[in-house]
Amino acid sequence: MAKKTDTAPVSLFIPRSYLTTEGNKTGSWRFLRPCYEEKTAPCGAACPAAEDIGKIEMLATQGLFKDAWETILRENPFPGVCGRVCFHPCEDACNRGSFDEAIAIHVLERFLANTARRGAFKPEMERLARKEKKIAVIGAGPAGLSAAYFLALLGYRADVFEAADEAGGVLRWGIPLYRLPLPILQEEIRRIEELGVRIQTGRTLSERDVHALAGEYDALFIACGHGRPAELGVPGEKSEEVQDGLSFLRQVREGTVSVCSGRAAVIGGGNAAIDVARSVIRLGGEAMIIYRRRRRDMPAFGEEIAMALDEGVELRELLAPVSIKSSDGGLAVEVRPMKVAGTDADGRAHVEPEGKQTEEIRIDRLFTAVGERAGEAWYEPTETGDGILRLSHCVMERKTGGLFVYGGDLTNATKSVAHAVASGKEGSMALDTLFAEGIEAVRPRLAACRVGQDGSLSMEIYMGGPRRNRSPHVVTYDEINAAYFQFAPRLRQPRLLREERVRTFEEVNLRISANLAIREAERCFNCGLCNQCDNCYLFCPDLAVKKDSGPLGRHIDYDYCKGCGVCAVECPRNALILEEEAYEEGD
Amino acid sequence: MKKVIEGSQAVAEAVRLARVNVISAYPITPQTHIVETLSVFCSDGTLDARFLKVESEHSALAALIGASSSGVRTFTATSSQGLALMHELLHWTSAARLPIVMAEVNRALGPGWNIWTDQTDSLAQRDTGWIQLYCEDGQETLDTTLQAFYLAEQVNLPVMVVLDAFFLSHTYEPVDIPEQEAVDRFLPPFAPRFQLDTANPCAFGSLVTPDAYMEMRRSIAAGMEAALDLLTEVEERFAGIFGRRWAAVEPVRCDDAEIILVTSGTVTSTCRELIDNLREQGEKVGLLKVKLFRPFPVEEIRRVLAPARKVAVIDRNFSFGASGIFAQEIRAALCNTPGHPPVFGFIAGIGGRDVTKDVLEGIYRRTVESDRPEREDIWIGLKEVPDAPEHP
Amino acid sequence: MRLNIPEQDYMYSGHVGCPGCGAAIAMKFFLKAMGEKTIIVLPACCWSIIAGPYPQSTLQVPLIHSAFEAGGAVASGVRAALDAKGDRETVVVTWAGDGGTFDIGFQALSGAVERNEDFIYVCYDNEAYMNTGIQRSSATPYGAWTTTTPGAQWKRARKKNIVEALAAHRIPYAATASIAFPEDLVRKVKKARETQGSRFLHIYTTCPTGWRMPSETSIKVARMAVETAIFPLYEVTDGVHYTINYTPRGFPVSEYLKLQGRFRHLTDDDLEHIQEMVNEDWQLLLRKAGEGA
Repeated sequence: MAKKTDTAPVSLFIPRSYLTTEGNKTGSWRFLRPCYEEKTAPCGAACPAAEDIGKIEMLATQGLFKDAWETILRENPFPGVCGRVCFHPCEDACNRGSFDEAIAIHVLERFLANTARRGAFKPEMERLARKEKKIAVIGAGPAGLSAAYFLALLGYRADVFEAADEAGGVLRWGIPLYRLPLPILQEEIRRIEELGVRIQTGRTLSERDVHALAGEYDALFIACGHGRPAELGVPGEKSEEVQDGLSFLRQVREGTVSVCSGRAAVIGGGNAAIDVARSVIRLGGEAMIIYRRRRRDMPAFGEEIAMALDEGVELRELLAPVSIKSSDGGLAVEVRPMKVAGTDADGRAHVEPEGKQTEEIRIDRLFTAVGERAGEAWYEPTETGDGILRLSHCVMERKTGGLFVYGGDLTNATKSVAHAVASGKEGSMALDTLFAEGIEAVRPRLAACRVGQDGSLSMEIYMGGPRRNRSPHVVTYDEINAAYFQFAPRLRQPRLLREERVRTFEEVNLRISANLAIREAERCFNCGLCNQCDNCYLFCPDLAVKKDSGPLGRHIDYDYCKGCGVCAVECPRNALILEEEAYEEGD
Repeated sequence: MKKVIEGSQAVAEAVRLARVNVISAYPITPQTHIVETLSVFCSDGTLDARFLKVESEHSALAALIGASSSGVRTFTATSSQGLALMHELLHWTSAARLPIVMAEVNRALGPGWNIWTDQTDSLAQRDTGWIQLYCEDGQETLDTTLQAFYLAEQVNLPVMVVLDAFFLSHTYEPVDIPEQEAVDRFLPPFAPRFQLDTANPCAFGSLVTPDAYMEMRRSIAAGMEAALDLLTEVEERFAGIFGRRWAAVEPVRCDDAEIILVTSGTVTSTCRELIDNLREQGEKVGLLKVKLFRPFPVEEIRRVLAPARKVAVIDRNFSFGASGIFAQEIRAALCNTPGHPPVFGFIAGIGGRDVTKDVLEGIYRRTVESDRPEREDIWIGLKEVPDAPEHP
Repeated sequence: MRLNIPEQDYMYSGHVGCPGCGAAIAMKFFLKAMGEKTIIVLPACCWSIIAGPYPQSTLQVPLIHSAFEAGGAVASGVRAALDAKGDRETVVVTWAGDGGTFDIGFQALSGAVERNEDFIYVCYDNEAYMNTGIQRSSATPYGAWTTTTPGAQWKRARKKNIVEALAAHRIPYAATASIAFPEDLVRKVKKARETQGSRFLHIYTTCPTGWRMPSETSIKVARMAVETAIFPLYEVTDGVHYTINYTPRGFPVSEYLKLQGRFRHLTDDDLEHIQEMVNEDWQLLLRKAGEGA
């Protein structure tokens, strides 16, 4: 019989629990293991310059505009330019487009460049150590300037030789001011020079000069572009009243043409044709575009076409020129109607003449804008040979005279600024790899920097940045958990009114506020990236997602994670994967 | 201060003096006067307690489990059906080692509905780990209720203070109601050994595997054993302050008794008179009043009863398929004592039927006439039962 | 980073809830919103086990296990004791499953609410007696398989509307909430915390084990219940003022039902019937909120 003494209290053993359950390592239950794995967003894969767009928008959402801008600069020295003139394939690939409307990436890029300009941001760029080798870049267009830029980041000395009085190429002499104001371009070129790149203008080089340079420099990057207009191939095109559109645009940029009254017709369907027509309007004339296919087949940007029509440019579709004759102080263009008969290999309409009837159009002047060719033979690489390495955006040729890399419009299938940037980047990577590891290493090393399936390469990955850890899997819309997003209209780019536009070469697109920019950036899914939305942390039934100070701000505590998979499903942007848990024998 | 009050009111006065913090109860005849009196005390501020008028007895005890676990002194009262409804939680209370005090008015269980006194309700709960103390009169009821709080809080086991329906609950007697100051000396403020506390969070009542459960049950048993010892201390402590004492058992004229009658509750009062009458006639008879039923005072029972030639237990209760419950317990207490007397078990007063002196004398005489009991349970005063009418 | 959801947790890892357990997620959010001055009364339910075996406790707040039917009563007692001790800061919470609320615990809940006891009663609803092996309760929805409504005997009684039953008590505050809508849930918990008298929260918590669905869809199914208007998010104050907190996107009920094996046996006619019932209930709710025709 238990006796209670004065000192000892009565026995009291009850179920009173105060030890933590953390001694129970429920991670042993798991047969699937979630891991954070950032993946590739379709926008970055579609961008020829492989801009890390998902990341850029994420930083913009957080108001970290300088960081966002620097993220662009890592892959593209021309945010201000591209934010105005790029054909934004990123937006066509944007997953948000399958939800409501694609993100206005183009507008946001421009906003970031403007913000950098207004705030006089000084970028903090990652640069490799100085190297001994030096490269000569021929042509200060977007390809050449990009090559110089990336070579400088990689530690090389880059000297650029430009025939014209000012650098910029088609950016300076081709694209009209109302699309790309001069100070924007000049500032971006200046930033390239601040890296130590030397640009010599007014230096027209002959083939012999080039060979001399090839001996002096460790490599040459030839980016002379296309200087010679393609021909229509119709009688009368050589007359005086017929002018090549690009040379006209150059005259406008040089200031040697300030008026262009009367009726002008432009033959062609690309951006150059549109640029010419809209410039004519601003110079006081009337403009008509004559195109052999339909509006939807025109390679020019849809917005540009729409604005041109809005400004009073007339569009005559499905008409091909037959002949050009002088007539009453002007010109008479004979055109034949065309009809659609199937599809070409490139997906555009295949057209054939319709009937024998032709039409005569009377105009005061005619511009042609049907394409370009290389100005000199030495601009282009040799067709075949042992020393030739064909990459996606450039061609490397080892000749006895030296090491040549050809890039830009000369080698790109698609002729755009973004592709030009890609070309300069690829060329710089190819040269750096060749110098460091030899020719055999070039393809694999570049392949490791690929973003997506096409030829977009990332300099950040090349330089060993965190982007290299991302999975190459490109996130599709059905991998996004759209339950976490509300329908929201896409930002509309504010523009000058039509009445204001047609009187001036002032930039058509107006600025947007930071407020609107952030709101638009918030619409971005950030496909494949972790933006620390905390869904995984919130929904984990086992509190196995722990916050930390690492780059993602969290990690999974595998001691307790039961592998339920809720985190992976509720991640709106597919930044997690579930993989089979690997067990040892006897587990 | 002496007042003429009902047994119910005596309970209520004790609860008031004990400074109970939380009361939770559901009305059932014949406990109602207890809860009504307490309601008035709470309403007029005589007692600073929260009184939860819950919607069933099960909830009444559940509420007290919550309150007692939060470290305050608690009280409830019930009877019969209500106690039966509480059954699950009676087990819970003792296993949770909560010092809850309950006044249990012994009343018959239905069907048929019967509001009069019968001990089956409280005794049917004998396995639940509650200390059970049976009272004879109003004074004992008040005193026992006060002692119940003290005892419960010493051993961390709940205590049931049992009183007969109507014969005690509704009978007016002179009762000395102590002064608050004296009670405060007897009964210190409740100092819980554990409680729900946000400053010291823990979980009470978790899943317990066979690895530890057995030891927890042993601990309850140890608490009961301690209660047995402690009752003597409580008796002394109480006597020292109030001058009255109530022991686990009270032998009356047993020293040389050949036959000892064993009773509990109000039947004891009637039996005292009979013992005196029989002694005057030269009968060697004694009476053992059993107050403490749980823990069962085995040693005391043996000490008093072993020397007798016969023992006759009067049970106002019955365990179907067995026998009267006090008789069962006494037989068990005596079985290991060599040469112990036979125990006659008499069943009387079921469902409130009156147990008069004549009934008790009849029991005595029958005991005298037989050497051994002819059966384990002898029902006294049964009438002829009419045949059930045939269904049409 | 969610600004409306407090960071501090009051719950440990290492508990034995099933993978994807909705009840564990609910408790996590609840405690974040409640803070440490909370005492939990826990009648028999899944959480009785998830709370940890002796001597472990999953929670960092005081907890008392209670008998199955006694949740509302034990909480009343705890509250009375705290008042007696002068503690008006600590909030008493009953954390019960659907069984201990809708069925066996209903009496004690109704009694406590009728007395307007000052506590929060939370029913986390996984729509069956899950802890004992997926048996039906009055919270089991029409159409569901359970181990006691198997095969052709699938449950044909409609789910009891517990919030309506409590609104009839003129309870100061009652609300539905869902683990898929954490900010709404946290807001309601905080509101309940600040309200006096009886407060009731009906939290929809998925049970991958009992509903026969993959654990990773735990939140998705919870969201779909709200979006199909099967489990609307709304609040009732004083039993009369209804506020609908979220307009469902209006997906057909089949989008919700098809995610769970417990509804696999339903025919198109059954689905149609369920859709009608849901539409009817939604219209009724709209009228109560003063929004319906």
